[in-house]
Amino acid sequence: MATQTVVHRFPSPFEVPTPTGAEGWQRMYPYYLLFSEENRSWEEGMLWYQDGIHHPEVLFPFDTISHEAWRIGLGQNNSRIFAIPPAYGIEQRILNGYLYITPVPVSDPKWVEERVGVFMKRAGHYYQNWNALFDRWKEKATRHIEALEGIQIPRLGRLDEEEVVTEARGMSTGWKLLEAYERLIDNFFVAWQYHFEMLNLGYAAYLNLYQFCKQAFPGIGDQTIAQMVAGWDLLFFRPDDELKKLARLALDLGIADRIRQPKRPEEIVAELRQDPKGQAWVAALDEAWRPWFFFSNGAGFYHHHRSWVDDLTVPWAAMKNYMERMERGESVQRPKEEILERRERLAREYRELLPTEQDRQTFDQNLALARTVATYIEDHNFYIEHWHHTIFWNKMREVGDRFVEAGFLEDREDVFYLNRHEVAQALADLVATWATGGRSRGPAYWKREVADRKRILDVLRGWSPVPALGPVPAEITEPFTVMLWGVTTERVQEWLGAAGVRKDDEIRGYAGSPGVAEGTARVILSASQLSEVQPGEILVCPITAPSWGPVFNRIAAAVSDIGGIMSHAAIVSREYGLPAVVGTGDATKRIRTGDRIRVDGNTGVVRILERAAR
Amino acid sequence: MGYVVPLEGCQRSSLPAVGGKAVGLWELLRRGLPVPPGFAVTTEAYREFVASEGLARELRRWLEYAQQSVEAQLEASGRIRELFTERQPPSFLVEEVAGAYARLGEPPVAVRSSAVGEDAKTASFAGEHESFLWVCGAGEVARAVLRCWASLFSPQALSYFAHLGYSPAEAAMGVVVQHMVDARAAGVMITLDPVTGDPSQVTVEAAYGLGLAVVGGEVTPDRFAVDKVTLEVRGVRVGNKSVAYRYDPTWGRVVAAPVAEAEAQRPCLSEHQVQELARMGRQLERELGRAQDVEWAMDAQGRFFLVQTRPETVWSNRPRAPLADPEEPVLSRILRNIRIPMRIAD
Repeated sequence: MATQTVVHRFPSPFEVPTPTGAEGWQRMYPYYLLFSEENRSWEEGMLWYQDGIHHPEVLFPFDTISHEAWRIGLGQNNSRIFAIPPAYGIEQRILNGYLYITPVPVSDPKWVEERVGVFMKRAGHYYQNWNALFDRWKEKATRHIEALEGIQIPRLGRLDEEEVVTEARGMSTGWKLLEAYERLIDNFFVAWQYHFEMLNLGYAAYLNLYQFCKQAFPGIGDQTIAQMVAGWDLLFFRPDDELKKLARLALDLGIADRIRQPKRPEEIVAELRQDPKGQAWVAALDEAWRPWFFFSNGAGFYHHHRSWVDDLTVPWAAMKNYMERMERGESVQRPKEEILERRERLAREYRELLPTEQDRQTFDQNLALARTVATYIEDHNFYIEHWHHTIFWNKMREVGDRFVEAGFLEDREDVFYLNRHEVAQALADLVATWATGGRSRGPAYWKREVADRKRILDVLRGWSPVPALGPVPAEITEPFTVMLWGVTTERVQEWLGAAGVRKDDEIRGYAGSPGVAEGTARVILSASQLSEVQPGEILVCPITAPSWGPVFNRIAAAVSDIGGIMSHAAIVSREYGLPAVVGTGDATKRIRTGDRIRVDGNTGVVRILERAAR
Repeated sequence: MGYVVPLEGCQRSSLPAVGGKAVGLWELLRRGLPVPPGFAVTTEAYREFVASEGLARELRRWLEYAQQSVEAQLEASGRIRELFTERQPPSFLVEEVAGAYARLGEPPVAVRSSAVGEDAKTASFAGEHESFLWVCGAGEVARAVLRCWASLFSPQALSYFAHLGYSPAEAAMGVVVQHMVDARAAGVMITLDPVTGDPSQVTVEAAYGLGLAVVGGEVTPDRFAVDKVTLEVRGVRVGNKSVAYRYDPTWGRVVAAPVAEAEAQRPCLSEHQVQELARMGRQLERELGRAQDVEWAMDAQGRFFLVQTRPETVWSNRPRAPLADPEEPVLSRILRNIRIPMRIAD
């Protein structure tokens, strides 16, 4: 990259000032994730961009574990395992609490060539055995999640339990607590090792079809290619399907009115457990619970992305909606035949447009492989980001409980203001003083620190991260950047402000799902507000999480701040045939509930037609 | 075949008799596509006419003369034109045309050349021959037919014949007479992307009024790119359609009228209308087995009519190498793709 022409320069990371009041933010994060004088010349030579797709928010110190895990998982698979010839991994830095990333190219041409042979052999093995390896992966992932569930976060009593003696354990519960934390962290990182085991190979195969289609049909929409590939039995439709079954059962059992009571869902479930009819329904709920309710209302990357198991409000609202629609005799099933027929029709008709028989053969091969890998691309999130992470964040809350019990923290949620290394240190402090009976520094130290960090994070939340840092090279050799992070020529131009003056009534994002719709906007900032969405409205939200699936039955279109063409929101919208514009950055800030807007899912533009009366 | 034949009475084998345009329209008609009703004047009528006493001899003389030089070609063209237009249409023609015109209901019509070989083989011949719009009355129609015939000997046509090594004396010309569409908008449609050759796109160009402004390049038309498979509108470039050709009853002819600025800079077709048109283009291409270049018009009620179709020749005649070798392992294709650097700035 050093030899490349630099066409523009964003500010150097060393020039960006710390917002007033956020001084000292650096200490919240591991030293190796900060820009440093030692590496300044290298760091100033790279283009860094804020990862608005996966990590648009200020990072809680503990939550850096998510991107650290993909930093290693993605990196090692590209660099050392499959030897993607031109690309190493994605390097990360934190600046003012936000994550910046840069792809690292393999700059030695000789080494690139040597890697080709390795890649052919190793990637070839995976492609040839894809389905069998994915079956094995699912088993491995499931076992891994079970191992996570099995990790107990023991309470430290005044005395250790008697079994330590009778079972001759020779080890205290205190040590078990330290061990449990180590295992939690280990388990989390391993989950991300698995996450990337097949992912980039999957993307590479998808990219192969994508590039072919773009070459043969320069004007073809990204979503159209995605639609030719999309599978039917996607795991993330499954939780929604379970809700439909529960809705049907509630109607069949005649307990619909009890479910509709204006009470917290958890209370209603407790009541239903008291009588036979209710029990039958709750048994079905229990049956569906694991894993389908371990379903995040967000992307799962942050501890505050809560899941259905944490709060039933979201699935409950969806289920009630299904019951109503079923009572009216409407069908709530996704039109399976229609969707499959459409997928085949698209593939067939594009295929017929290819000018030569060779092209049609190549297309068939590329499409077949893309469809083979698609199930992995679509389903891996459910295992890792949803099922696994739901459990993980809650286990960490239990760790938080231990700190609260020892007086280190005021609240279990405060544990997320410590980074993972600091949690280990604080636990060392806690367990050692539990063992010695001496005084720990923790209570004073961490309570003060957490209070200070809350203040700093608040300041950083008010800072608008600069979109990119450093020089813009003319080209990047990183095959996955476009697909995973949406970095394109246009996007860089937009960052540069070359796209012209920003229009107040126009919001640009990615065309996530084709079609155009006009309607009233409903800005939804968290899953708990989803029940406010009225039929025919346009959903405007920070991130369209898969668990929001049910609301897609009611809306006319969707707009999100975060997400790319392969984001769940885009996929669900395509499935439901709704226009969607994703990755707008700030639609939720610029659009207000009640505004009349026009969503153009073909061009990725949202226009505010009429402001709501205030 | 006779001197006159209704469009729906043509067939593929009548190409030598009625010319490419008429057969093209018949292809549209028999597929249920909307075509303004009309009839064709056959090459038999043309031959009968040019064989007539006096004309045949004069024609031969001027064609021989034309071979001498470019200047001679120009002069000969003018003289031949006079031979055709400065005499009364022969009575056999007037009779036949009047009968067919009466059956049509005597509406204003468009009279257009339908050269034999024009569309099929020698595409760039198209446009060298004349069309007459808003012709009223049987006598005028017959005169317009003569003028169409004369355009077989326009200077451009003569030099083109020379270029092809083709004797104009053996050439013949059919003529199409069709209901005039009082077009609110009109234009062309190509069933691919003329810029990239993308076969999955239908490109529509449209402007207000009759199609003259678009075909003649007098306005920047609206350009719509439509996905041929999904019919989604991929892109719209709104042109500046400052002039519209419309029939002016006061003058009794087609005039170029200015278009108000706000209207000129608004798309002249709705998304839905563009899709309707693209759907017809797709059907045509599928049934005719190759990309088409279509002229269309939309009347005041928003009804579309196709007034001409011919095979697209630029991209369709270009030899297309396969994009990849299907014998090459998929893996090595994947490898090639991931090694293509992404341009992030130009």
